[in-house]
Amino acid sequence: MMEYYIKLKRTVRPVFRDRWVWSMAWRDARHNFSRLFLFAASLITGITAVVALDSLNRTLQGDIDRNAKELLGADFAVSGDKKFGSELQALFDSTGLPQASEADMASMVLFMRSNESRLIRLVALTEGFPFYGKVETQPANAAAQLQRGRYAMLDASLATQFEVSSGDSIRVGNSVFTVAGVVDEIPGGGGLMSTFTPSVYIPLRELDSTGLVQYGSRVTYKRYFKTANDAGAKQLEESLGPIVKQRGYSFDTVQSRKEGLGEGFMSIYRFFSLLGFLALILGCIGVASSVHIYAGEKREEVAVLRCIGSSGWQAFNIYFIQIFVLGVISSVIGSVLGIGITQALPLLLKDIIPFEVGFTFSWSPLILGLLLGTLVSFLFSLLPLVAVRFVPPLTVLRAQPGTAPRRSKTQLVAMALIGLFPLAFAAWQTRSWLTGTFFFLGLLGALLALTGVALALLWAVRRFFPTNAGFVLRHSLSSLFRPNNQTRVLLVTIGLGALIISTLNVIQESMLSQVEFTGQENQSNTILFDIQREQRDGVIQLMQDHQLKVNQVVPIITCRLREVKGKTVESLTADTTRQRSNWALTREYRITYRDTLTRSEELLKGEVQHKKAGRDSVWVTVSEDVAERLAITMGDSLVFDMQGVPMTVYLAGVRKIDWPKDPPNFIFVFPTGVLEDAPQIYVTSTRITDRQQAGRFQQQLVQQYPNVSLIDLQLILGTINKLFNDLGLVIRFLALFSILTGLIVLAGAVINSKFIRKKENVLLRTIGARTRQITMITLIEYAWLGLFSALTGMVLSLGGGWLLTKFFFEITFAFDWMELLLIGGGVILLTMVIGWWNSRDVISAPPLQILRGEG
Amino acid sequence: MPNVVLRAENLTKTYRTAENFLTVLDDVSFSVEQGDSLAIIGPSGSGKTTLLGLCAGLDVATSGTISLMDFKLSAMSEDDRAYLRNQYVGFVFQNFQLLSTLTALENVMVPLELRGERNVAPKAKALLDRVGLSKRLNHYPSQLSGGEQQRVAIARAFMTDPKILFADEPTGNLDEENAQHVTSLLFGMNKEQNTTLVLVTHNLELAAMTQRVIKMRGGRMVV
Repeated sequence: MMEYYIKLKRTVRPVFRDRWVWSMAWRDARHNFSRLFLFAASLITGITAVVALDSLNRTLQGDIDRNAKELLGADFAVSGDKKFGSELQALFDSTGLPQASEADMASMVLFMRSNESRLIRLVALTEGFPFYGKVETQPANAAAQLQRGRYAMLDASLATQFEVSSGDSIRVGNSVFTVAGVVDEIPGGGGLMSTFTPSVYIPLRELDSTGLVQYGSRVTYKRYFKTANDAGAKQLEESLGPIVKQRGYSFDTVQSRKEGLGEGFMSIYRFFSLLGFLALILGCIGVASSVHIYAGEKREEVAVLRCIGSSGWQAFNIYFIQIFVLGVISSVIGSVLGIGITQALPLLLKDIIPFEVGFTFSWSPLILGLLLGTLVSFLFSLLPLVAVRFVPPLTVLRAQPGTAPRRSKTQLVAMALIGLFPLAFAAWQTRSWLTGTFFFLGLLGALLALTGVALALLWAVRRFFPTNAGFVLRHSLSSLFRPNNQTRVLLVTIGLGALIISTLNVIQESMLSQVEFTGQENQSNTILFDIQREQRDGVIQLMQDHQLKVNQVVPIITCRLREVKGKTVESLTADTTRQRSNWALTREYRITYRDTLTRSEELLKGEVQHKKAGRDSVWVTVSEDVAERLAITMGDSLVFDMQGVPMTVYLAGVRKIDWPKDPPNFIFVFPTGVLEDAPQIYVTSTRITDRQQAGRFQQQLVQQYPNVSLIDLQLILGTINKLFNDLGLVIRFLALFSILTGLIVLAGAVINSKFIRKKENVLLRTIGARTRQITMITLIEYAWLGLFSALTGMVLSLGGGWLLTKFFFEITFAFDWMELLLIGGGVILLTMVIGWWNSRDVISAPPLQILRGEG
Repeated sequence: MPNVVLRAENLTKTYRTAENFLTVLDDVSFSVEQGDSLAIIGPSGSGKTTLLGLCAGLDVATSGTISLMDFKLSAMSEDDRAYLRNQYVGFVFQNFQLLSTLTALENVMVPLELRGERNVAPKAKALLDRVGLSKRLNHYPSQLSGGEQQRVAIARAFMTDPKILFADEPTGNLDEENAQHVTSLLFGMNKEQNTTLVLVTHNLELAAMTQRVIKMRGGRMVV
């Protein structure tokens, strides 16, 4: 034994100094790269998705930061739905800062040349605005010319739609304006807002001449301030902010506008994060699966190397170097592809974002992709590759069926890190440990559920095996539970792919359904508002002259709250400990009167609005959100200021309102017999199906009643559909990464089981099975796998989709059965095709050739 | 240099099956001296290959001891046994077991490169020339016939100047002509290098060419 210790001084060379390992890695890899295609494809797809989404997010965030001041056009802005009183005007003047004013409201515009009309947002501006950014116009001097006379400017979309150019005339209310130019870009405008309601800009001094500002008109007044620096803006926010807020106005700062915009993109960003997370996790499964296949193929070669003296670690290092180097190369390719795709995304997003998204190259996403890809290749190849260390050299003499997998320390550490990785990545991706944990637990739950279903399926097949069925059906079923079967793994991986694809579909459907108007047959699609009392009969007559059914004529009275539960609004807004919202206390309310509920209303508490005899006679109802904001409950008293006349009312009930359904809807509804004589305006609605008829009616309406505005819901619906089609395109484009990775995993899973199936098929063929029979056995077996995986995935996606839409995206859950069935059918078909494709050489080749080939 | 190169004492190998234990080798003892040649013969399932695997340190005996070049294999780790094989042992297998991704020359170079030696190509080329494959240096195993592959395997086995060569059915997959060629190479090079040869075979003619024959039946040595 002494001799043993003296002679056997085995030197262990570290991997970087072991030339043999590096040279073997290269020699072996020369002809093996095609075998690692699945590995590279999985990693490239996962990394491309993550880098593209991260880069897009950085670009958007960067642009928001850069354009923040231009988004507001000033350092500080005050806005409200009533004119600024003399006290506030004096306060504004006392700041001594450069200021600009704006008033905007909805109005109709008549294009004189074509005699067409449309609802627009009328923006009346004073000179000076914007303080930051530039009004981009065609011709360039249009903005300057605007203030020199009765001129107007139009948003580009409006000018294009109605073929208006400089020098043309438009009529707004009672005034005719000459078009000075077309607005391409204006701080504070553009984006989504201009898609829905394009703007017409006029000088503020001309607003009165239009005659549009009448009783009941909804005008938003704004005052913009420019400060010397950011500290000045902060100071202004601290000094002016509380005062304007107390008086029922709101204020905007560059920071709040930035945050608001960021918040707006949060849903989309979260969805992108989810896609990125899923794409990478699928990529990880793809990596582990492909390395598992690769390590399995290398068992015999490892056994030979072990025979001629290679240590376990040396054998491991050979393949690890290959995987690692290919992982780094794939990460670089994935990162570059991701950056490339980011350049294309702004084109898809151009209609959704209110500013131009410029591509700015940044090293960060590239480094992120490289690090992430390297980490994924390392972690997810470690576990299957470590098994190489334990390949017994005796394998060269005979197969080793009894070799149970050993759990080395390396494997245990790898398993722990693999478990931690998705959690850490999800937390990083969503920038929240809580949300990340939610993602992670969802994925874990899905895997457990998939495994549960796989086990239940195998049990059911054994328990209810159709012993009297034909050979083909029996054999294809029995393949599901043969020894060393891959059924569980296949069900989990294919099921996960199906789950992801259908979950994406459910979320997409839910997101799109948020804005779908229920365009039912008998529902109004045209609303006319701001009809003055003396105009009511004339407008109704005009509608009837055009054979338009008057669906409803709703009176509207504008008023403000004076007291709530015996306390004045002034005292309530001054009370800093209150729970009520200032907005709800100080805003102007547009109320109506009727004694019934409409189709869009549901009584949650109390009774419908009604009038009682005697004192305390007026009982009103309120929407649930405002009841909450005002902290009022049944029987509480409210005093309204009805054009200077106080009116005490009591709360009879609380309504739940489906706002988009059957408009107009109201926060406060009074009973009849109270407000009939108060100053009021009217809203009426109808349904127009013929576009030409709509055009003729609109034209006559604008000419006869210029202050009456018309909302064409069909036009809005068309705009929304286009917008969401564009958004849907972006979502589908990004979901493609996850789907692509899922398909790679699917192919990997099928190839993984190919070697076992190959041997069986050869034996069947040798003993006389016909090609048709083997093909049928293969197809039916994969059809079973596809069917059960798809069913599991889809059922889980409905549960997961519901949870995600409710708690994560905070939107209403919706799905489309047909689309889910199509996805399920697609998964089954794809599993069958991929299974057949990988078995076709076995099916078509002579058995002897395969037996020889297998050696 | 020890005179006895390989010594097996009371070797037993038992496998655990689903229901009970299966003894495939039962109390086998023998020894082989330097330069000797030994054939292990017997019917299928008699334990020949198991015995060869244990002697070469490819597996561990359930009980009993094996000393190879005076090293007790049971006391060594798997990596130490691998190192020992690289230093003293050569192999020739029935299925050739060449590395499919390496050329003939690279296959032969591998064992010496594994030791960290450099400039090993001349020796590998000389050995390939010795087995008649000087024109097939850069061919991959799939481009060679069975006989050629086995000759590459023989060249690889002799690359490290092994003290002992284990051969498992070296002619089992070859036609008569190639079998004769391989046999003459195996014995010729064995004699040239004074290597100990232990071979497992069904071929009684081949077995007859060795100095000693061990006959196995039911896991026991019968001669």
